[in-house]
Amino acid sequence: MDCRVINKRRHTGLQQLSSFAETGRTFLGPVKSSKFIIDEECHESVLISSAVRLLESLDLTSAVGQLLSEAIQAQNKTYRTGTSTLLFLVGAWSSAAEECLHLGVPISLIVSVMSEGLNSCIEEVESLQVPVHSVYDHIDSTETFSGLSVSLDPSLHIPSGTGLVQKEHDLKDVASQSLAFCRLSGRPVKSPQLFRLQARFEADENTSQTPQTLKNNLLADTCCRKSVLTHSRHFSRTDRHQWISKPGELLEQLSAAAPKTYRCSDLAELEVGLSHGDPSSMRLVAEAVRLQHQNAGMRRGGHTVLFPFDISRIFTCCLPGLPDSLSCVCPGYITVLSMSSATLIKELQNQPVRVVLVEGDLTENYRHLGFNKPTNIKTVSESVKVQQDSSEELWTDHVLQVLIKFNVNLVLARGNVSEGLAEKCTDSKRLVIGSVPESVLQAFAEASGAVQVAYITHMNENCVGSGVSVTTWRSVTSDTVDGISRMTVVLKTEGINLVTVVLTSPVTAQMQTKEDRFWTCASRLYYALKEQKVFPGGGAVELLCLTHLQSLAGQSVNKGNQDCSGWLHNTSSWLASSAALYRPTVLKSLADGWHRYLSTLLRNTAVYSSDSEAATSIQCHLQNAADSGSPSSYILNEYSKLNSVILNSGISDKLEPIPRVYDVVTPKIEAWRRALDLVLLVLQTDSEIITGLAHTQKSSQESEGFLFL
Amino acid sequence: MSRLEAKKPSICRREPLTGERAGARLAALRGLLTSCYGPAGRLKQLHNGRGGPVAATSHSAALLAGLPVSHPVLKVLTAAVRNHVACFSDGGLFTAILCCNLVENVQRLGLTPTTVIRLNKHLLSLCTRYLKSEVCACRIPVDFGSTQILLSLVRSILTSKPACMLIAKEIDHISTLILKAFLLTIPENAQEHIILGKSIIVPLKGQRVIDSAVLPGILIEVSEVQLMKILPIKKSDSFKVAVFCVSLSGDLSDTGEGTLLVSYGVSLENAALDQLFNLGKQLVSDHVDLVLCQKVIHPSLKQFLRTHQIIAVDRIGVSLMEPLSKVTATVCSLLLCNRNDTAWDELKLTCQTALHALQLTVKEPYVLLGGGCTETHLVAYIRHKTRNEPESVLRDERCSQTELQLITEAFCSALESLAGSLEHDGGEVLTDGKYGHFWSVQANLPSAVNWPDLPSRCGCGLYSSQEELSWSFLRSAHHPFPPQTCLSHEAKGSANTLTLDCFTAKLSGLQVAVETASLILDLSCVIEDTN
Repeated sequence: MDCRVINKRRHTGLQQLSSFAETGRTFLGPVKSSKFIIDEECHESVLISSAVRLLESLDLTSAVGQLLSEAIQAQNKTYRTGTSTLLFLVGAWSSAAEECLHLGVPISLIVSVMSEGLNSCIEEVESLQVPVHSVYDHIDSTETFSGLSVSLDPSLHIPSGTGLVQKEHDLKDVASQSLAFCRLSGRPVKSPQLFRLQARFEADENTSQTPQTLKNNLLADTCCRKSVLTHSRHFSRTDRHQWISKPGELLEQLSAAAPKTYRCSDLAELEVGLSHGDPSSMRLVAEAVRLQHQNAGMRRGGHTVLFPFDISRIFTCCLPGLPDSLSCVCPGYITVLSMSSATLIKELQNQPVRVVLVEGDLTENYRHLGFNKPTNIKTVSESVKVQQDSSEELWTDHVLQVLIKFNVNLVLARGNVSEGLAEKCTDSKRLVIGSVPESVLQAFAEASGAVQVAYITHMNENCVGSGVSVTTWRSVTSDTVDGISRMTVVLKTEGINLVTVVLTSPVTAQMQTKEDRFWTCASRLYYALKEQKVFPGGGAVELLCLTHLQSLAGQSVNKGNQDCSGWLHNTSSWLASSAALYRPTVLKSLADGWHRYLSTLLRNTAVYSSDSEAATSIQCHLQNAADSGSPSSYILNEYSKLNSVILNSGISDKLEPIPRVYDVVTPKIEAWRRALDLVLLVLQTDSEIITGLAHTQKSSQESEGFLFL
Repeated sequence: MSRLEAKKPSICRREPLTGERAGARLAALRGLLTSCYGPAGRLKQLHNGRGGPVAATSHSAALLAGLPVSHPVLKVLTAAVRNHVACFSDGGLFTAILCCNLVENVQRLGLTPTTVIRLNKHLLSLCTRYLKSEVCACRIPVDFGSTQILLSLVRSILTSKPACMLIAKEIDHISTLILKAFLLTIPENAQEHIILGKSIIVPLKGQRVIDSAVLPGILIEVSEVQLMKILPIKKSDSFKVAVFCVSLSGDLSDTGEGTLLVSYGVSLENAALDQLFNLGKQLVSDHVDLVLCQKVIHPSLKQFLRTHQIIAVDRIGVSLMEPLSKVTATVCSLLLCNRNDTAWDELKLTCQTALHALQLTVKEPYVLLGGGCTETHLVAYIRHKTRNEPESVLRDERCSQTELQLITEAFCSALESLAGSLEHDGGEVLTDGKYGHFWSVQANLPSAVNWPDLPSRCGCGLYSSQEELSWSFLRSAHHPFPPQTCLSHEAKGSANTLTLDCFTAKLSGLQVAVETASLILDLSCVIEDTN
């Protein structure tokens, strides 16, 4: 029994963190370059373009690597967004912490000052929050932006009445082009402008104005918004806490001066702002929201008091091999079946069918969880009559009888379906679909009145749902996979709270990325709507953090924030009294992390081609912000002027208006906290203890630096 | 096939402590534990080196559980400490470090074990008698009429574990929750014998710490599907609950060995299910509203109950069964959130420690001053006592004056090193000549008595440097002085930001440390089985 204690690993942990994080540098910002990860042993390769997938594919066996992986997974599991930021900041701040160590700052001080600094930043950026209010006010009138949904592809067999919303994706899609390792195609935020204006146009159409006047209004609005903004008295305020503390009052004041500046009340604008260079994914999310909203309206008889955007009722169906343009959003459940069901579906197509929902497998051997089947039971026959039928056949017949008895034509099962049963059912014009997700079953249970059962043979009339329509969507010849022809069907009922997003991609390797990106967009919108607030995006928040830390570093410690981390603020340790000495150094290092973040963001969005250009631009803004007396007002001002990447002064001379970029609040702040927590955790670790009973004898060379107990 | 092997002779090693190996390993363990001690302590990454989960911790329970020691002396030590932690949760590192210090200090002296053990025992009783006496100046009586002291105690425990990764706001939030959870476990109409209820910690990993909450009662996880069917519950009075600890999954009872022959057409499963339906009918006729089952309920029985408006919740788990039977008494659920698994695990351990410390405080309503002050104060007290009143000891314990001086010095310096272990960033520790408290200062200060930049408060936060105090370095030779005994009333009142320790846990830790050190010093040979 031996335990190996590895000492003196103080700095290697931080170094490991920064080198892991370096691999994900290109994922920051709206333009993400993909990476190929190649397994040298089995020559398999994966195409990835997110921090989560990157870490999944990397071999992170070291303890620090595992902690990093755990942090990224936790962020992804909780928020599904912010992982690239997290990964980047882990790298930036571990270098910062290392720098402080080199300068001789005590570890405990690095921990408490960095913690305090980030906390102070988090409080500071509250002033930038943009409230999101009554975004659904216009949603009913927009009819899922018909202005954009051009013509339906005539080659698609879309049965009338299925309510499919099919879009032709004529807009430039950054996401689909990011395969190139190095893409410098200019501003990715350019294309959604059309998207936004169109949506606004429709939104206002409802107010019984003629399109002509509206167009004029729109133009006027865009023009004077800027002037109102720059001269608004609210921007010259230096005491921003005053209006933060009284948001109600602020809104009142603002509504007189510049109503659309500090709040976002247009869903389409919010969506564009949160698309982060991926308009095609966000468009699908937008359609899903509108479908859910319509449904909610139907279910509650027109009264949509509080409509929560429910991502648990969105389901993605990936169809690799199809062109991108076929991606769409439909109410109900879309799934892929083998071509052999084609005739059956045709027959079921024109009638409402009755449905049974099975919560487990639909096989003879299936027993519910927790049931132990005894193995020592043998059935004997008393009579000489030979029993021909196996128990499997008996069971199949039994199930079939039940289905016939209750006149059920559709069975949806959570688990696997016995092949024999499926065949027999097809023969008797009954469709059985297996591997149906839990949320889908739940949606059908709600909409059709069915009750999920574990054993179909135990069901009664109460368990049967009704009114489900089964229609073909289109055939998918997926010879790329196994050469078997497949088809897709749409299952739905009146008012079902379920939306299927069909994701297509001609490149199979990109399918995963596409699905990930869709969910990232959906999560961003979900949190923006849930929290009813967003941050201005494009680096505005990070710039404020940078300015704030720089000014904190300049302040004397007495004036500084007392909200230190953990113990230092009410401790009597000498560290508390000598904190003033080291504080500026530590805060500056933390600020350097933000600086690296901003300049990488600028480089990645191809605004600047060199680090020095980016640095000059950041420096210029920092100076201006400091000179203005109120950095947050300055930043909001710049943000409103430029609307896009805040530091993007290079494009401000072009008159083309650019839509705002927004970012989610809590997931972003949590990503910051997680990043710093991880860095500080590793910083405070001084040894690694390898546990377990492994008797591996280390050679004398290997065991150097190990301690045995 | 089992294989028998002839018993090999056991190995007998004499004087297990004297070898160089023992000394090095004990020093390594001490170094490891010392580096974890206190709020500025360093963390350890525990993992199995083969891709298992990684824990970053400075908690003695987690450390000692994952630390496989091979040397018998270390085994004795860690077993004793783990035992202490199992009983008191708090003070594991304190006990372990003090024990290491005592063994190392005393061993250097080369005195006979019997003398050492006798005198250590005497010094220990000197300490415990003082700590339990009314004149003791390093303990504060707990006023249950206010939350101040209790909150300070909880906060001190939370801040002592940096791997929880909490910021000040979060520490305040969690401290309040822990105190609330504790108060919820106190029965309302308390009679002579109070039986405290239970607080169940419910994990909510990945969420913000600030989203943690305390709820009275038991939190049971129910699937969303079920919940929508259950809510709203209209019946509020006389809500009948049936709790089952046996499985209702329709299993056949144990059929024993051999094969069971069943006639064709007979289904044992259906027979079992029929029995379950009979049970269901009984529940319906008894007007039961809620059926809870530790194990699985057959889905068809659940369906049956549901059609009769009975809520059925299964797979409650064994851990909830005991509190469930107390549900009418005092049970609360602490929903604990933290950002990731590692930090959550540490936070959970720390919260359990804090809850336990509060429970112990009910039994002995005192807290000890933390931040090293109790240790340095005790040292001043012991030094003064043995220097000024040695006669009785010398008579009772039959030892020489020199022996007494040596052992006292070893004992005191073990306590001082322990207090000094709170410093991890190269600072210096001073003690004052009036209260004998712990003061932390920057290193390399000129060695004058009155430094200009002295710390504003002592380690526990009770005294400020405003008054005229004289200071000396910890572990430096100085004249014994009588530390001021009996806490003043104003001191007791200013408990707002004090660093406090659990009285019962620390007292036991002190005893365990001294007794284990004596045991280790008394080891004369180790007999080990080789197979």
